[in-house]
Amino acid sequence: MSDPKASHSSATIAIRVRGLSRRFGTNQALAPIDIDIAPGEIVGLIGPNGSGKSTLLRCLTGVVRKDTGEISIDGEDFAGDGANIRRRVTYSPGEVNTYGELSGSGHLAWLLRGRDKQTHARAHELAADLGLPLRSKLRTYSHGMKRQLLFAAAIAPAVRVRLLDEITEGLDPAMRATILDQLRADADAGNATLLSSHHFGEVDRVCDRLIFLDAGKKLAEESPATIAERARVLATFEYADPDAARAANERLTAEGTHADHTNSNLLIQLDKDDPQAHLARLLARTDLPAPTSVLYGQLPLADLYRELYGREAC
Amino acid sequence: MERTLRAYLIPSLLFALLLEAMTAPAILYWPDFEDHVETYRDILPFESVRRMIDSIAESGVSAYVNLQHFYKACNVLGTAAAVFFAVGAVAGEANRGTLELWLSRPVSRTRMLLERYVAGALALTLPIFATSATIPYLLEQIGETMSFSGLMLSSVHQSLFLLVLYSLAFCISTVSSRPLPIALGLLFFTIFQFSIYLVMEWTHYSWFRLADLDDFQTILRTGHLNASICGPLAAASGLLVVASLWLFHRRTP
Repeated sequence: MSDPKASHSSATIAIRVRGLSRRFGTNQALAPIDIDIAPGEIVGLIGPNGSGKSTLLRCLTGVVRKDTGEISIDGEDFAGDGANIRRRVTYSPGEVNTYGELSGSGHLAWLLRGRDKQTHARAHELAADLGLPLRSKLRTYSHGMKRQLLFAAAIAPAVRVRLLDEITEGLDPAMRATILDQLRADADAGNATLLSSHHFGEVDRVCDRLIFLDAGKKLAEESPATIAERARVLATFEYADPDAARAANERLTAEGTHADHTNSNLLIQLDKDDPQAHLARLLARTDLPAPTSVLYGQLPLADLYRELYGREAC
Repeated sequence: MERTLRAYLIPSLLFALLLEAMTAPAILYWPDFEDHVETYRDILPFESVRRMIDSIAESGVSAYVNLQHFYKACNVLGTAAAVFFAVGAVAGEANRGTLELWLSRPVSRTRMLLERYVAGALALTLPIFATSATIPYLLEQIGETMSFSGLMLSSVHQSLFLLVLYSLAFCISTVSSRPLPIALGLLFFTIFQFSIYLVMEWTHYSWFRLADLDDFQTILRTGHLNASICGPLAAASGLLVVASLWLFHRRTP
């Protein structure tokens, strides 16, 4: 079986964005940004609230008018109000507000208006597989169930590009894993996905690439492997109170270990050569206050931003 | 479009029933009214309304029907219906948080908005035509007749008048996220307009002068629409639709 990414990459770029920007009043929601996404690729948009993730996705679909820039999706240039693009992509918005008076089945039909019969059938099948009661009114659905219904509508159409805003937000870990597995399978079939999340660690496992946004600007593009490698030399010690964290910070800094404390947390830079041994030595020390928990190998978004880009993530 | 039409179906039927409930008893009451028309004239407090009664005394049942059905029922209920059918069109979606979901479907914004406009406009105007169509039958019950084509032309005039208010409310809805304040504001304004219609000195400043008894009697007498009123009314609605489209294309969720 041929590799879909290899077979499509030479054909066309799934998403091509050049100089896309949007301002709301005095707020530059999106600074001019360039993005290229290949067929079969899953790209995560990572950033805190207000970083421009949703604005970017909305501009791509024409839900929000762009101020400047060019958008081309699946070979089609953005025109007019973007209806031509909306026909070539699926989009799941970040807000989960639905029509409570409609049944699950009716809502799927409404969401998929203009799509073919096979898409409707596939969406119903997907929703049923996710265990959604399609005959029940949406007002009886939980937040997570509504999110799954939107996912079913977003994954069912036979389009080449999917734009998903906070698709795993509010889902339990098992359902999140199911959704991400389906996304991975969809990408393996050659479809490109751009998905946003403000929870680093939730979606990065299925992403081929991560784009970090902050205050409407693209800070960097990294692969999850690179991030993991960088996180491998970082550990976060959580203490019962800020005083303990401060005391540990002072002692380690005096010894030449790079550490940085925020409230009750202490972010420690481990030895690059053997970070795990360094971590073990730190934990074995009795002269340091004992942490209540240790986070190693993954970082909260705020710590990641501070570590990678030297700035707070809002 | 199908769901949009369904959403307007029940309110539209309710509007039709209320119109019929106001018109039918009034028409069936005509013989009694005719017998006591002078008494009614004497007890009415407003000069403007007394003039309407004079018109009825002079023209008979046709003026009475025009007054009861078009001027009273359609204007009063229709005003409320026009506002009610329009304010939720876009502002309602924003208010319930479903605007983004609506805008994200693979349909052009022009089509989205026009579908909703047409559905609401049909919900508003069809009951006027439907209830007007029952008038000849009601008149037959009391031994009277009236021109069917005249009633239909009057329905066109009435619909064009109400469509201006509907289009205005619709246009405001495209830029707002709060349907209730729009509805209350417009309803208070129309009540004010109706109030000043009754005051002889101010009556010419009321927009209800554009759809009052004289207009409907003229239509009945001449057998055609008054282009000098209907033309501007249609143009105003058209301009408001264009403005709504322009604003809707710039709307963010």
